Amino acid sequence: MMSASTEAHEKGSPDFVVAHHFDSADTQFDAGRLGIWLFLVTEVLFFGGLFCAFFIYRNWYFDSFVEAHHHLDKQMGALNTVFLITSSLTMALAVRAAQRTKRSETVNMLFVTFLLAGCFLVVKYFEYTHKIHDGLLPGAMFSAQGFATQHAGVFFAIYFVMTGIHGLHVVIGMGLILWILIRAHRGDFSSRYYAPVEGVGLYWHLVDLIWIYLFPLLYLVG
Amino acid sequence: MAHADPHDHGHHSHGPDHVPHVTPLPIYLKTFATLVVLTVITVGASYINLGTSVNLALALIIATTKACVVAAFFMHLASDHKFHTAVFASSIVFLGIFVAFTMFDTSARGQFDAQKKNRPAQMTDPFAKATAAPSAAPAAAAAPAGATKAGAKP
Repeated sequence: MMSASTEAHEKGSPDFVVAHHFDSADTQFDAGRLGIWLFLVTEVLFFGGLFCAFFIYRNWYFDSFVEAHHHLDKQMGALNTVFLITSSLTMALAVRAAQRTKRSETVNMLFVTFLLAGCFLVVKYFEYTHKIHDGLLPGAMFSAQGFATQHAGVFFAIYFVMTGIHGLHVVIGMGLILWILIRAHRGDFSSRYYAPVEGVGLYWHLVDLIWIYLFPLLYLVG
Repeated sequence: MAHADPHDHGHHSHGPDHVPHVTPLPIYLKTFATLVVLTVITVGASYINLGTSVNLALALIIATTKACVVAAFFMHLASDHKFHTAVFASSIVFLGIFVAFTMFDTSARGQFDAQKKNRPAQMTDPFAKATAAPSAAPAAAAAPAGATKAGAKP
């Protein structure tokens, strides 16, 4: 292990420098990671507003929520959960590979993560198409008939906004994964310097974490 | 975490180079297995009707367990600085305050309109007996009470 580390020292991350205002590489690394965690805090609070809206309307229009949530496909949701959990594993393994200066392993793991994110969006596309076809759209666009309760449209408004913003995070995540994939392929990362891989990894795990709550609340409990 | 890691001593040593804390592969694989098993359990539980509040509580407990596992091992909070855990936990605490207090309000709106109608608040004499209230007050209180009810559920 020690020799691998020395080897990485010599040929890994040729452009990496410790900025002059940092004590050491460790301090620089920790500062960056703290910044990512603060960003994740803002993300939690951002999605928190939407979760709050979900709970308010669920409380007010409980019957509508129960009736409307039966129109979501549990199997599709569960499949997407598995895609995201697996992508979280491959992302964690990509970070681990970068930490050990395994260039091709990093690139491969990031590529698999990218593909799984794509699979998630494909499933989401089929779900959305189905809902648009059935007229289960938010607000004034809601045109579905035959609901026994009054406010099924509110559920679909919340469903589309929450999954839509989450989906946007997945798209942004795919862009970020592609960016570090190219950089990893170029040989930018090593055990000395892999901060961008870890930062994107933390963001990606948060996207997974939010889906972990969205899936049961929207698809399972309603 | 009890594992042999040759880098453990190098971590945070303030040497010239950053030495990563590499989590052993089995920990990642066990984390993944836990997440898959919990997903199967939460989907399975949704087919059993235990009463809506029990189902909701169960789903949230399982989701929170999954979230903790992801944060601890995939996001490295278990081996990272405790400060990062505190930062992340603070967002959950404030989210809890935000949601809980909003629910106190929205779930109780209009609930006291009936009482207010019977015993209108006297700003000048809040402890006055209900019978001593002027006869015009109930009629005046009825209109805002109705407006509040309508406003609660747009």
